[in-house]
Amino acid sequence: MRKDWALVATGFVLLAIGHGLGLFFVPPEAMMGETGRIFYVHVPTAWNCLVMFLIAFVCAVMVLWSGHPKWDARTTGYVEVGTLYNVMLLFQGSIWARPTWGVYWTWDPRLTTAAVMAVTFAGVMVLRKLIEDPERRATAHAVATVVAFVNVPVVYMSVKWWRTLHQDMSSPSTVDSVMHWPLRTAAIGMLLLGVGFAMVRAELERRRIAIEDEAPELPPVPNPLEV
Amino acid sequence: MDGMVVGGWEYVWAAYGLSWMALVGYTASLWLRGKDT
Repeated sequence: MRKDWALVATGFVLLAIGHGLGLFFVPPEAMMGETGRIFYVHVPTAWNCLVMFLIAFVCAVMVLWSGHPKWDARTTGYVEVGTLYNVMLLFQGSIWARPTWGVYWTWDPRLTTAAVMAVTFAGVMVLRKLIEDPERRATAHAVATVVAFVNVPVVYMSVKWWRTLHQDMSSPSTVDSVMHWPLRTAAIGMLLLGVGFAMVRAELERRRIAIEDEAPELPPVPNPLEV
Repeated sequence: MDGMVVGGWEYVWAAYGLSWMALVGYTASLWLRGKDT
């Protein structure tokens, strides 16, 4: 089995174990009751969404630094997976918000900045589709990724910088020890899954770029007949 | 217990179900795109 697909398979196994522990073995949360179990799917998605965008940012800087197509392919992979995790994060959060806050959505700073993050990285993906010239596309995509990344630290810090309805950042140090294993296992599962997904996607992009490079040049367009 | 949200399993299943659907769906899309190239 290829290394990238092996990472995806391992990620799914760890995620299933983490979610199984969170759903069936951990007691209900003291305040949120059974709905608190959404924690084990939402928090690992949130952490790894930011990690995927951080790796995409590093890859984009490497595109601008070296210009090597492998970094362009990797940027594409991590932007796509980060955006997938971002969309999942918004849906999970909305579902959790309904029984705990009474609404599916509110313009809280954490929610708003996370939604802006999804829209901007979706824009980065659309931009890539619009440019045909490979060198211009790689540069524009990398610059757009770096610009979109500016919001990522804002999303992370939003619960500290503003008085917000969203709870403070969660980590193993902020939750009971019984919650550690499901949280850590699901988080590592999501990380392996994300890296594996991004590697598979980068390989697809690398192959697509190679096919594009090998394509014969089109003949010059003939001049129109002059009357 | 006072102040504890009661019930809510339907929200839990919705959050987990949507997440797994997204992850499995994305896996399938990568696999299909790999077959095409």
